Amino acid sequence: MKVIELKKVEKIYNDSEVKVHAVRGIDLEFEEGEFAAIVGPSGSGKTTLLNMLGGLDKPTVGDIYIGGTHINDLSGSKLIDFRLFNIGFVFQSYNLIPVLTAKENVEFIMQMQGISQEERYQRTKALLEEVGLGDRLDSRPKQLSGGQQQRVAVARALASKPKFVLADEPTANLDSKSTENLLEIMEKLNKEENITFIFSTHDQRVVKKARRVITVEDGKVLSDERK
Amino acid sequence: MILSIGWKNVWRNKTRSMVVIVAVMLGIFGGVMASGIMKGWIAQRIHASIYNEISHVQIHNPEFMLNEDMNLTIENAEQILNVLDTIPEVVAYSPRVKLFAMVKSDWSTSGLYVKGVDRDKEIEVSEIYKHLLEGDFLEGKHRIPSIVIGSDAAKALKLLNYQVTPEKIDSLNVEEYPVEIISKLGDIGDKRFRKEKDFREALTENLTKHEYKEYGDKLVEYFSFYRLGAKLELTLQDTSGQIINPVFKIRGIYKTSNTMFDGLTAFVDRQKLNTYTKLGENDIHEIAIISTGNDEGKELGITLEEYFAGSSVMGWDKISPEIAMYTQFTSLMGIIFVGIILFALAFGIINTMLMSVLERVKELGMLMAIGMNRKRVFYMIMAESIFLTITGAIAGMIFSGIILEITGRTGINFNMYAEGFEALGYSSVVYPTVSWFDYISIIILVIITGIISSIWPARKALKLNPVEALRTD
Repeated sequence: MKVIELKKVEKIYNDSEVKVHAVRGIDLEFEEGEFAAIVGPSGSGKTTLLNMLGGLDKPTVGDIYIGGTHINDLSGSKLIDFRLFNIGFVFQSYNLIPVLTAKENVEFIMQMQGISQEERYQRTKALLEEVGLGDRLDSRPKQLSGGQQQRVAVARALASKPKFVLADEPTANLDSKSTENLLEIMEKLNKEENITFIFSTHDQRVVKKARRVITVEDGKVLSDERK
Repeated sequence: MILSIGWKNVWRNKTRSMVVIVAVMLGIFGGVMASGIMKGWIAQRIHASIYNEISHVQIHNPEFMLNEDMNLTIENAEQILNVLDTIPEVVAYSPRVKLFAMVKSDWSTSGLYVKGVDRDKEIEVSEIYKHLLEGDFLEGKHRIPSIVIGSDAAKALKLLNYQVTPEKIDSLNVEEYPVEIISKLGDIGDKRFRKEKDFREALTENLTKHEYKEYGDKLVEYFSFYRLGAKLELTLQDTSGQIINPVFKIRGIYKTSNTMFDGLTAFVDRQKLNTYTKLGENDIHEIAIISTGNDEGKELGITLEEYFAGSSVMGWDKISPEIAMYTQFTSLMGIIFVGIILFALAFGIINTMLMSVLERVKELGMLMAIGMNRKRVFYMIMAESIFLTITGAIAGMIFSGIILEITGRTGINFNMYAEGFEALGYSSVVYPTVSWFDYISIIILVIITGIISSIWPARKALKLNPVEALRTD
């Protein structure tokens, strides 16, 4: 089943005096259960592409469908709500809410979805156990290591039962052991629960694990390899 | 959860939040105290005015108001008094004779309004008897009738003397005054000074500058005494226009917060005054009435105007319109004052919340990215401001409440400005008073200020673009 469909997507920034053609006519499709990495040098359009996949930015030309919904048509609050129910995000610098505990960080997103307290509690506990943090439910982000924080971020991304998880350089701030650990968890979730993961990364360890590697350069897809 | 995050965010930067909380607390304290002091002052001024000077309602012969001729007594006074006995809103009344007389002591002369009163009725209407510095208020019968004068009249008549007596030196508190000062005081001798200025000169001659600066005022007060028992000779006309010179003995000296009143008003027994002036036994110039309260007093004035159409009936608000106006004036001043405080407070809150938003751009961007809609972001920032303000408001309420409770009992002493205040009729000791309505109003206004002040920072947060916000460091 197609999760994401990009049709002739172009992105042109007109903000400065010079027009910047960040993405030039990309056609891409992602199927449910993919474990894909988007790679490319800085300025290749990788981040712009990822932002558009995540509904944070809109294409200048072309169409994006997520789970069959044409997201070009969504604006303002509708788009935010769409992201809440359909897309999970994992950021490079974890971006947890520092005043909330690990449990509350995960639960928070479900509360915005209007999920009952009981269900929230059960799911939060299950997710944090799944990422190996069952014993750190009440820890604040600053009491956790970088790797642990990123695992909480993964649990948070999954909390909303999204159609896919977008992870922007998720291992950039982690040591090798934490990276290994995080990738194992995400791979396990992908294999066992068929969760779709799309990474933007420079990290060869992530690229090695990915079953599909999309190389972007000068705003175009240079290669799209499946392993 | 939004509220929970809002509350937790308040305590992220404790120092900054505490600064705002303290600012709100001081804002409330400032507003409450400013309002309390002003209201207290006015309430005391109105109380003093009514219970020492004008009462709630006064009845006169209409022509007496234009020309204070002693023959212009109230017509049908007895009937009026009988009617007053039947009106429940009349708590007490005092019939008075009011004359202007030249008063002569052995050392000086002064002009005074002499009020002839029936002691037992007067003390139900006026609180002068509570303000006695020395003596009593027209008690007992004496061969030479009694007169009660104000402290300023006593000074004008040179009846406030100063004398360094050996007995007074002996009883000086040795812990309070150094021994060398006590020995120097002995050099002044037993001389009696009739003027404060002369006594001060004597003190400066005997004490060093430093000693005089530190102890001068206390010593002047300690060695002063009123010449209670001195005789005063009054010069006034009787009903037939003949000049008479009755003699009274000072048996009471009072001091109110109004130096002008104290310098001009004396009290004697009405029957004695009527006899001297050949007024009839029941002749009176004025009936002073006290009602159940100030507002009731105003209404009673209007009611009695209809009852006694032939007489001049005036409520306290008409006798002294400036005093009635003070209440409105203080309310206006209070509003202006509180307004200024709230204005300053608003900027404090805006500044803090803007800093708080700008510091968290990345986090807010992340929240928007993962699905927190603008309404929730707006409410979260608003909640933070409101929590900050409410915390400060509660602290302010408690702090102001404690200070009000203490100062309401002890009063706040503006002694160094006493002369100026008392010249205007105000007490130098003020007892702040705040009604629950004022108290709650100020707190509500502070909270509204907090809410309004948070709109700008919250809107700033709404304008963030998640993509750009996530890119910030």
